[in-house]
Amino acid sequence: MLGGAAVTEEVFPGFKFTVCSYVCSLLRPQVIRELDLPSHGFEVIPQESSFMPLPDGRYLFHRGDEADTFQAIAKFSRRDAEAYPRFGRLMARLAKFLTPTLTMTPPDVGSLNPSELWKLYALNKQVKTLTEDELYTFARLMTMSAADYLDEWFETDALKAGMCSSGIIGTLLGPRSPGTAYVLMHHYMGEIDGAYRSWGYVRGGMGMVSESIARAARSFGAEIRVNAEVRRVLVKDGRAVGVELATGERIDAKVIASGADPKRTFLKFLERSDLPADFIRGIEHFKIEGSSGKANFALKEAPSFSALPGNGPQLQGAISIGPTVDYIEKAYDDAKYGDFSHRPFIDMCVPSTLDPTLAPPGKHIMSCFIQYAPYTLRKGTWPERREEFAETVIDTIEEYVPNLRDIILHQQVLSPWDLEQMIGLTGGNIFHGELTPDQLFFLRPTPGWAQYRTPIKGLYLCGSGAHPGGGVMGAPGLNAAREILKDWALLRV
Amino acid sequence: MADSFDVIVVGGGHNGLVAAAYLARSRRRVLVLERRPVVGGPVATDDLAPGFHASTGADVCGLLRPEILEDLNLAARGLRFLPLDPEVTAVGDHSSLRIWQDVWRTQAELMTKSPHDAEAYPRFTSFLRDFATALDPLFTMTPPNVAAPSLGEQLGLFRRALAVRRLGKKTMQQMLRMPPMSVRDFLNEWFETELLKASLAVDALIGTFQGPFSPGTAFGLVPHFLPAIHGGGWSFVKGGMGNLASALALAAREAGVTIRTNAEVNRITSTDGRVTGVELSNGDRIAARVVASNADPKRTFLHLVDPEELGPEFLVHVRNFEMNGVVAKVNFALDGAPQFPAAADGVPAHFRICPSLEYLERAYDDAKYGSASASPFLDVFVPTMMDPELAPSGKHILSALVQYAPYDLHPGTWDREGDKLGDKVVGLLEELMPGFEKLVVARQVLTPRDLETRFGLTEGHIYHGEMTLDQSLVLRPVPGWSRYRTPVEGLYLCGSGAHPGGGITGAPGYNAAREILADWIRISS
Repeated sequence: MLGGAAVTEEVFPGFKFTVCSYVCSLLRPQVIRELDLPSHGFEVIPQESSFMPLPDGRYLFHRGDEADTFQAIAKFSRRDAEAYPRFGRLMARLAKFLTPTLTMTPPDVGSLNPSELWKLYALNKQVKTLTEDELYTFARLMTMSAADYLDEWFETDALKAGMCSSGIIGTLLGPRSPGTAYVLMHHYMGEIDGAYRSWGYVRGGMGMVSESIARAARSFGAEIRVNAEVRRVLVKDGRAVGVELATGERIDAKVIASGADPKRTFLKFLERSDLPADFIRGIEHFKIEGSSGKANFALKEAPSFSALPGNGPQLQGAISIGPTVDYIEKAYDDAKYGDFSHRPFIDMCVPSTLDPTLAPPGKHIMSCFIQYAPYTLRKGTWPERREEFAETVIDTIEEYVPNLRDIILHQQVLSPWDLEQMIGLTGGNIFHGELTPDQLFFLRPTPGWAQYRTPIKGLYLCGSGAHPGGGVMGAPGLNAAREILKDWALLRV
Repeated sequence: MADSFDVIVVGGGHNGLVAAAYLARSRRRVLVLERRPVVGGPVATDDLAPGFHASTGADVCGLLRPEILEDLNLAARGLRFLPLDPEVTAVGDHSSLRIWQDVWRTQAELMTKSPHDAEAYPRFTSFLRDFATALDPLFTMTPPNVAAPSLGEQLGLFRRALAVRRLGKKTMQQMLRMPPMSVRDFLNEWFETELLKASLAVDALIGTFQGPFSPGTAFGLVPHFLPAIHGGGWSFVKGGMGNLASALALAAREAGVTIRTNAEVNRITSTDGRVTGVELSNGDRIAARVVASNADPKRTFLHLVDPEELGPEFLVHVRNFEMNGVVAKVNFALDGAPQFPAAADGVPAHFRICPSLEYLERAYDDAKYGSASASPFLDVFVPTMMDPELAPSGKHILSALVQYAPYDLHPGTWDREGDKLGDKVVGLLEELMPGFEKLVVARQVLTPRDLETRFGLTEGHIYHGEMTLDQSLVLRPVPGWSRYRTPVEGLYLCGSGAHPGGGITGAPGYNAAREILADWIRISS
């Protein structure tokens, strides 16, 4: 099957799950436009609302529009309700400033090559489009924790917790860890139909993202072979000359672009002797410890939250369990010392409320993103502890959906270890490596090798382990293709 | 008032004295007003018990700018350093490790623990020394004007970038990669010995409300390597830290500064956005064109200056300035030298209890949720091992820095927790040094709240504010106000709340004096 983590599978008869990723918004408009994905079946259903039930029976629920959001937040704090749109505008402004860097090839910082120095100069000019205050805000976002930054803006713990959670998704850091404030802004980069901070479901599941891109690729003449596992990249005289499949079959090519993560690409597909020692050290230091799991439930009926019962609009958007900042931070504390969270943060959705094709009539699917679930457990292994993990997840949700156990028809729980086994994500990391500043931009995956090229001529990285990282953006592939074509034109290939 | 002054320095801490001395050397008439009976603030020597002269606040010195030492000729004014060697003895569960000033000696010691680490250690220190050397000039630099950097500023920054680049492209890239890392991740790339990693992490963590797993803490390692570059390394001050304050005070007086102690400033007065002088707690008013505040930013802007002069936006930034102190001090007068089974040659002059990175992180976890660490790490000094005259013959002083002890306890208050903290420290020390408790003649517990009331450090923060990346350089203390100037014309900051922060560098005072003099024509008109 195609699509890696962005696939839709009929895990249980009649129920279609996007097994891994579940919402989309960062896919680059350039990719959508240039590959004409809509004509190949790509369509986004906006996911406009956000619902957070609280343990005391209160809840925070708001839809996309400003008036509704104001009302919802004002129930907790009028001051926060007033600050919220201002916050959104500031984040969107800064995110907009960052967006162009997603589809650029990072400069090779430290190089004295005039074209690289020119890139730095151009970046500096880009920075100057920000006002002095925006620049300070940007610098602080890069270095502060999401919790500290939000404390400056808001007083409602539930609101801050909800916003914090987007600062920690997929990372092995907590809301009080410096640097997580940056990710708050990252999430305002989502741009479906040009509107900032709007995430959406893909009709037919996330598999349709991969499927539509595949159709586009075929229409341009690409040949796609499934069930073809690459075992080795063949190298001759420091140049990639082809690949060897698990079946032993060899295929020659002038260029190999690896969509696998950096650790798999360099430490599994290649011989250590093919690569310089300090490059290998850099790749070994690359942080790629997964921190999240997935649970997919096939449900007899729509889940009913005790805070806001029934199958209403609250089920149509993002639903998150993580009522306070300390709750999420404590969930992180468990993971720091090698255990899954005793009470995890859960981000879930019931996409069948909007796209009935995903489940049999009247029945529903519920996708849960669970954090924290570190890849490396201190006690036991994931296969031994998966059941215990599943029980923890269900117990946690039952505190909000009391009859959950009665309505579950089927369940599938995936640990980071399973993600590694199933789709080859090393360490089960959904972003192909932590998105922390020490492994972003010109440092991703390792300093000096952020331009999609590798120490092996003809071998390129085109996956999320390269700039700008994960999040179903399509940007690493887009950028890598550009660099490959550039080398082609210069007859370097 | 018979005298009139050009500049009033509010607070006679080391930075205030440095600023005063430099201003007076440029023929300004300077008055230093100090609330306490002695100058120096937490750079102090006090009697714990008759005959026991302890450094009750700061214990060691190493970052004091060489420019200041030389310009003010502090050696001639009685300042003597006693360098620590070994720099520290780290103690963990049933093992200890000495880190010497000499890299090769440390390497030899590490050899018995891990040949891998022994091999890496010299490369590690040379990386950090190179980094520290390249950044050293930033300490005495005024942060650039972000809105409109002058040509000189651009040139200065370009030269720093060039200095880093000159170390090689690979080294430069590693230096750019390091600051946002957690000290744990950074150290794990180099070493495997827990005790070594924990001891190095403590260097990066002292005084900061972060744990070793917190991103951004790796950068804290860099300044730790500066003292070695400038010569002596981390040192005691002979006769106690108070001697540093008195040497600075002597230099200031000789340059013409008037120092008044027991003179608490209640208010910094101003009209129409311009400073006019100060008002003391006894009601006296003293006029001056310039006021340089050595008090921390929160004390200065939230308690001394009229809020009307500052504007709401500036005040929001000041309130958001993070300075929740995490350090407590427990000082002991001892009847004799304690046993120290962990080391062959008796009690080290400087040791720390820091078994592992996880131990440190768990200590931080407690503080994160508002409690003092159940098992804190201790950084302990026994100055009498090197300077026996500090105590009566055969007796000793032991002073322990305890972290984490958050200023803001919830639940609980320090009135009740202080003694418990003291007992906890005694327990930890007793475990390491059997019979310790029996030797204690006097004990002084300084909780963050005591540090606040005693030394005037708001929220007990020893650096006048967290030294995290988001409160450094152009962001310290308030974005856009990092150049020692303030929204009130004629009011300057000259304490550790300004760039480059705390650590007894004297640099904030040194830099503020330079900026005041640069503005002089405008001020005196």
